[in-house]
Amino acid sequence: MSDNMVYLEEVSKKFGENYAVHKINLDIKEGEFLTLLGPSGCGKTTTLRMIAGFEKPDEGNIWIDGKQVEKIEPYNREVNTVFQSYSLFPHMTVAENVAFGLKMKKIPKSEIDEQVHRALDLVQLRAFSDRKPKKLSGGQQQRVAIARAIVNNPRVLLLDEPLGALDLKLRKQMQLELKQLQQELGMTFIYVTHDQEEALTMSDRIVVMNQGQIEQMGLPDEIYERPKTKFVADFIGETNFFEGTVKGGEGSNLYMSIGEQKVSIHNHSNIESGEDIYLSIRPERIHITQEPGNKSQDYLKVKIQDKIYIGSVTKIVASFSDGQKITAHSPYDKTLHLQEGDNLYIYWNPENAVIFPVHEKEKIEA
Amino acid sequence: MVRNIKAAYLMLSPTIIWLLAFLVVPVAMIAIISFTTNTGFGGILYEFSTEAYTLAFSSLYAQAIWQSLWWAGLATLSCVLIGYPFAYFIAHAGKWKNLLLLLVMIPFWTNLLIRLYSWIILMNNQGAINNLLIKLGIISEPITMLYTPFAVIIGLVYGFLPFMILPIYASIEQLNQSYLEAAEDLGANPVRTFFRVTLPLTFPGVLSGIVMTFVPAVSVFVVTDLLTGGRLLMIGNVIKDAFLVEMNWQLGSAISLLLMALVLISIVILMKFTSKNNETSSFM
Repeated sequence: MSDNMVYLEEVSKKFGENYAVHKINLDIKEGEFLTLLGPSGCGKTTTLRMIAGFEKPDEGNIWIDGKQVEKIEPYNREVNTVFQSYSLFPHMTVAENVAFGLKMKKIPKSEIDEQVHRALDLVQLRAFSDRKPKKLSGGQQQRVAIARAIVNNPRVLLLDEPLGALDLKLRKQMQLELKQLQQELGMTFIYVTHDQEEALTMSDRIVVMNQGQIEQMGLPDEIYERPKTKFVADFIGETNFFEGTVKGGEGSNLYMSIGEQKVSIHNHSNIESGEDIYLSIRPERIHITQEPGNKSQDYLKVKIQDKIYIGSVTKIVASFSDGQKITAHSPYDKTLHLQEGDNLYIYWNPENAVIFPVHEKEKIEA
Repeated sequence: MVRNIKAAYLMLSPTIIWLLAFLVVPVAMIAIISFTTNTGFGGILYEFSTEAYTLAFSSLYAQAIWQSLWWAGLATLSCVLIGYPFAYFIAHAGKWKNLLLLLVMIPFWTNLLIRLYSWIILMNNQGAINNLLIKLGIISEPITMLYTPFAVIIGLVYGFLPFMILPIYASIEQLNQSYLEAAEDLGANPVRTFFRVTLPLTFPGVLSGIVMTFVPAVSVFVVTDLLTGGRLLMIGNVIKDAFLVEMNWQLGSAISLLLMALVLISIVILMKFTSKNNETSSFM
């Protein structure tokens, strides 16, 4: 038990022999926008469906608003879902779709009309009340699906990749609208997506899932800046990985080698000399220069292999003497004079690199 | 543009020839014959006459027409009431689905005529059903089933039920499960989900089933021939007798055309009636 809005305790779900979700613990606070993020098949949708009631957990308990719900059917749970495919009833008008949940609750007709109007106003679709869903665009259908769910004033709104079918521009716009709507209503949102950018943009808190388990739970910047596992570092954003053995002496003078060059390691990650590690450094954290400065140890010499203009930044792909590659993002004007084949010196603040042991025996939980 | 249209017609020509040869020409022949003069014993004199229609509208034939529509309608309704739950059950039978579908279709492998004979044995006064009921003490005297409208309805329902089950099954099978989840999510229990979502969304299948059952049922003649020994008449019997017994081709043609018109009108009414309630239903 806990006083959170949604609480999952050691919840597992098996499909056949395989665990889709394995012993996860999750607590979601009232009014929170929580995102379940992960690649397809990571168990995020199964987790959402267990909260909605469409799947029954094989083990563990689920509480919603203080009530234990594993044995409660979906139609008796105080949650509503926005489905990936919208699932608007094709034989009903927009207004009838939105009114469906209220009708099931046997609310008086006049009150239903009023609430339906208010919900459609909220998503700016009042003018489309009498249309059939098929006559609306994808974005409009999406809004109807949202109105149909929130009109019931659920304790928790579950959203299963609701923007997946929309084009990029509309998706970005809807991300902001959804976030705004959530803040206006003060409703608890549980949002499932495989799009890390979407997760970072919208969430109060992100839960990264992989192979049915939680890899990391935290604030968007924590997840991005301080990933706790290699998987998280790899999945969220772009990064460079280098494998090596930690060397060096006592205290803060640890280093590893990339090629034949030494790289300092910040010792925040409780590692010791002799350990095999991965070092992860984000492309935008790498500085480039053609003339090495004074602290020569921190500069790594590389050869430019490719220069790719991608709009906001220019992507530099360079290689070490042993063939390992590294990608750096630099402002366009700093890269104008660079050419393929040029020598380049790169450096980064050791604090910005993240270190993972090569043999991750146990998952770290927040 | 012009060449494209020519090419299109060329590609359509097999269909057009087929329709002309097997639909338009025969119907046109029936229509023409129905307005010719009867010279007796199947003779056709190509002189305009409406005598066949006067005869067709006389009470005997009109009664057979209404009787056919009524019985076929009743049988179709029974097929809907039996067929829908049946189809629903098959669609949700998981791994047994294919086996059950096969069982629905197996009767087609035997001629309807032969299958109807077995109903004679079952519904006889000394037949299996009466014997069973008497043994169980439910009745003391055998109930006469053969030679009654009841037997006709049984025969029609038995004969055409698969035509109702299959299209309904197809529409339930194709129904997107996420609609049902959405209904459940919005607080509808299974019963309300069925009546508010499943039934309306599978109605096109029911309509197809109605047409596929009603149309053959209204004109069939073997059922009445066998199960009532020809004592009760459906329009199919009347047409058959007109051609083969009375040798009155004009009368047979006229009643055939009237039947076609009635069936068409019934379908149009059905379509109009349902398309008002359900915009999404695509007909057949």
